[in-house]
Amino acid sequence: MTVTAAAAAQTCRTIPNRVRERAERTPDRICMRQKRFGIWQGITWREYWEQAGLVAHGLAALGIGAGDRVAIHSENRPEWLYTDVGAVAIRAISVGLYATNPPAEVAHLLRDSGARVLVAEDQEQVDKALAVLEQCPDLERIVYLEPRGVREYGHPALMPFSELLDRGREHARSHPSLLDEAAAGATADDVVTLIYTSGTTGPPKGAMLTARNVDFATQVLALGPGLYDPPPDESDVTLSYLPLCHVVERAATIWVNAGAGTTVHFAESIDTVVSNLHEVQPTLFFGVPRIWEKIHAAIHSRMGGASPGKRLAFRASMALARRIGDELVRHDGTHTARSRALYALGYPLLFRALRDRIGLRKVRAAGSGAAPVAPEVLRFFFGIGVVIREAYGMTENSAVATGNRRGRVKLGTVGEPHDGTELRLAPETGEILTRHPGNFAGYWNRPDKTAEVLEPDGWLHTGDVGEWVDGSHVRIVDRIKDVIITAGGKNVAPSEIENALKASAFIKEAVVIGDRRRYLTALIGIELDSVGDWAQRRRIPYTTYRDLTEKTEVLTLVQGVIKEVNTGFARVENVRKFRMLPKELDHDDGELTATQKVRREQLQDRFGELIEDMYNDTTKFAGGDLTGVHS
Amino acid sequence: MTVDTGVPSGRERAERETGLRVRGRGRGLRVRGRGVRGRPLLYTSYAADQAIWNTPAKRGWTLALVGAVLVLPFFLSRDLTSLVTTVFIFAIGGIGLNLVTGYAGQVSLGHAFFMGLGAYTAAVFGGAGSDQVIGWGLDMAIWLPMAGVVPALVGLVVAPLAVRVRGLYLAVLTLGLVFIGEHVFKEARSITGGAGVGRAPAEPVLFGMDLRERYHLFGYILSREAVYYFVCFAIFVVLAIAARNLTRSKPGRAFAAVRDRDVAASMMGISLRRTKTLAFTVSSFYAGVSGALLVMVIGRVTPTNWNLFLSIDLLAVILIGGIATISGSILGAAFVVLMPRIVSELADVVPFISTSPSGGFLSVFQLQTMLFGALIVLFLVLEPRGLYGLWVRVRNYWKAWPFSY
Repeated sequence: MTVTAAAAAQTCRTIPNRVRERAERTPDRICMRQKRFGIWQGITWREYWEQAGLVAHGLAALGIGAGDRVAIHSENRPEWLYTDVGAVAIRAISVGLYATNPPAEVAHLLRDSGARVLVAEDQEQVDKALAVLEQCPDLERIVYLEPRGVREYGHPALMPFSELLDRGREHARSHPSLLDEAAAGATADDVVTLIYTSGTTGPPKGAMLTARNVDFATQVLALGPGLYDPPPDESDVTLSYLPLCHVVERAATIWVNAGAGTTVHFAESIDTVVSNLHEVQPTLFFGVPRIWEKIHAAIHSRMGGASPGKRLAFRASMALARRIGDELVRHDGTHTARSRALYALGYPLLFRALRDRIGLRKVRAAGSGAAPVAPEVLRFFFGIGVVIREAYGMTENSAVATGNRRGRVKLGTVGEPHDGTELRLAPETGEILTRHPGNFAGYWNRPDKTAEVLEPDGWLHTGDVGEWVDGSHVRIVDRIKDVIITAGGKNVAPSEIENALKASAFIKEAVVIGDRRRYLTALIGIELDSVGDWAQRRRIPYTTYRDLTEKTEVLTLVQGVIKEVNTGFARVENVRKFRMLPKELDHDDGELTATQKVRREQLQDRFGELIEDMYNDTTKFAGGDLTGVHS
Repeated sequence: MTVDTGVPSGRERAERETGLRVRGRGRGLRVRGRGVRGRPLLYTSYAADQAIWNTPAKRGWTLALVGAVLVLPFFLSRDLTSLVTTVFIFAIGGIGLNLVTGYAGQVSLGHAFFMGLGAYTAAVFGGAGSDQVIGWGLDMAIWLPMAGVVPALVGLVVAPLAVRVRGLYLAVLTLGLVFIGEHVFKEARSITGGAGVGRAPAEPVLFGMDLRERYHLFGYILSREAVYYFVCFAIFVVLAIAARNLTRSKPGRAFAAVRDRDVAASMMGISLRRTKTLAFTVSSFYAGVSGALLVMVIGRVTPTNWNLFLSIDLLAVILIGGIATISGSILGAAFVVLMPRIVSELADVVPFISTSPSGGFLSVFQLQTMLFGALIVLFLVLEPRGLYGLWVRVRNYWKAWPFSY
């Protein structure tokens, strides 16, 4: 067959290539399931490739060719994959947009990428695109997936997904060899996707990943032990819930699925992840710290409301879990006879049921990445038998850098460099540099920015300060830009302190401040669910989020957490004062990035008054110091 | 895709526009009709979602329970075997009453009448004829269904009356049925044998096999009681599953809608007349079958046995067991039938309870009646969902473990 021959001639295999091969080898196997009308509807490899092929032809019918950009603005669903794979199959470039992106960012991303076709999920996303259509001269077509509410718009640029498929069918009849030709013409240096950085500083930049980058990442993450150890195989089940436009989820869903043949399940929405997890019981689970923290907080908060007998069982099991967790940490994440015995004791009592309830009963490998996670949270999950292995990577190196291996887990580190990855620390700054075939081709239309991070000899500046632990593992200190230098000249990594604070079930956001100041302070945002629950149990009446944060009891609660965290740090790293954020941080308000990372500059601007309140020794806003609180 | 000639249905349109095929059943190598192995909540078809035994645990426990019930007669004495058989029969009657009262919300005190009707229909079709009474001596394969069909037809005739009234009036109306029935049974001597005399029940000959003979099974000699036990159990299982299926199907949902608010139900397009009629008819069928089986097991009865107290016994079955649950009806039947026996066994141990009707501080029969009344009151006040409700509480406690909700 021409395709296979062409594929063999190539040095690397594209994702469409892999999907096609699976469709030929195991056509009737379920490759993904989507919950619709209350039922998990299966989609086979044959259907996957068929649909992706139709999208490819449909895009070609719209005039999309090699190097053109196709944007996708949708939550995770099969059509996302069809569009991504279909676009790459005709050598076009896919661009993912976060479903939460507000119109202004949508405009920036569409304009910057020069996307000609946008696949928008529903009325909400179509409205955003239509609002900014004038600002995006390249955008010709908006294909919508959910016709509800959009059907009657009658805008000339709009087209339903079914029509795209119909056109694809027609096009396929007249150009049956299109995909074969495109596959034969594809090179390893083809840009296959633009992944926009979250943009904690400045507007998002589009990182160009080539076919070679993706292939290398697939080799390491899907076929090797990069993401999950032992590597995934066809019997594995995953849940897709993080945004697919983020490199981690792209790897965990599309690349791992096509590479290893796992079965992907799409969560109905981000709000139903908890119940979907319970239903799907994945065998592989990759979470960002926020997810782990949330599960951790939810367990404790729900146990707080449980009946006395259950609380007793929980306390007893947690005593076991602590011992198991410590034992696992001491032995690099491997079970010892002692930890196994303790686990066997707690399993029928609580661990089995608890893991089942949170949907992690069948998890055989779990990972955490994208941001640092507090060691206490990891220790908790270790204790209940879910060994989470932290990994490290970024968009610019296709999420390939380091990972903790099975049996060589070191808590607080991001593990060892993957096979085929060169990693070193810059001598003067301690910045982590990586070099491997996964390093990106550069920022889209931003050669100046590319030159800042990519050296001519192939080394990538990650912008993270790291250090070696025991000569083998890497510990991330912080982002270079975020490191605080106090007025006394001490270097402090705020993320460590912030994570320790966020490990508390009551604290959702913590922003440590103190650059060129005499001492450290923090802005604190509470976790509404657990603090609300806590207040209700203590019969503290409250109305709004803001009202709750200003209660003296809540302030004292936060103060307690801060004092406790302070004991784990050196004196200069102690948080002396805090103020409460009067609102929940939000992507729409520009305080968070699409990946829920805090935009520090924005925050310091917006809540400058709170910060000055702390350093001017006034008490205009709710908060406190280590000796007292005031509302 | 072919060109649509007509207006596409909602589903077709959804499929066309989303490009996604909607289907009821998952496909592929690892998918079974029930769902995905090892993941009981990952429903890939509506059939799996709606299954009665939707989890492996439920399947396992049900099989274990059925197995236990099947070996039970080999360990029980003959009178206890008979007693458990009565449990099955009361469970059939209870399920019938639960369909009309629990599910469809139509209070019926007339169940005793339908049971009696079933018993006499069976006797006429299956009993031996004589100078005094009519009897055609047909096979059980005929008289047992007829024992259900004839009361069902009478139920069908009575239903239009019942449809017009509700609540207390319906209770009184069905109460009237019992009194009319008792009178008719007393007077129709050629059918019932008359008051104080009664007649022999139908001949238990099933497909030519006389159930009264002794049968050998795996080297055991099966007593007549054990044979009755197995036959009644089989009939009970079939009828219970049929009822369960009825309640989770369209008519069953209509029953619940009518019970919860008949006006709202009729506004939603549910025909009150048809729903209530169906409930009465099916319920009467169950009552008839249980009446016929009851006389088969306990033997000759006089017309006065089909009185209000029997109706109240059946109400107790569903009140104590659990309104609007099939499993509850079974639990309730077991409780109502076995409780008097347990009390009388206790009487030998507890000193101040005498076993004779007149002597002592408290006789067994007084105690039984008092306990019965007290339990109904207690259940109504403390756990209106009955024994089944208690079970649900226990189950939910462990199901939610380690959380509380």
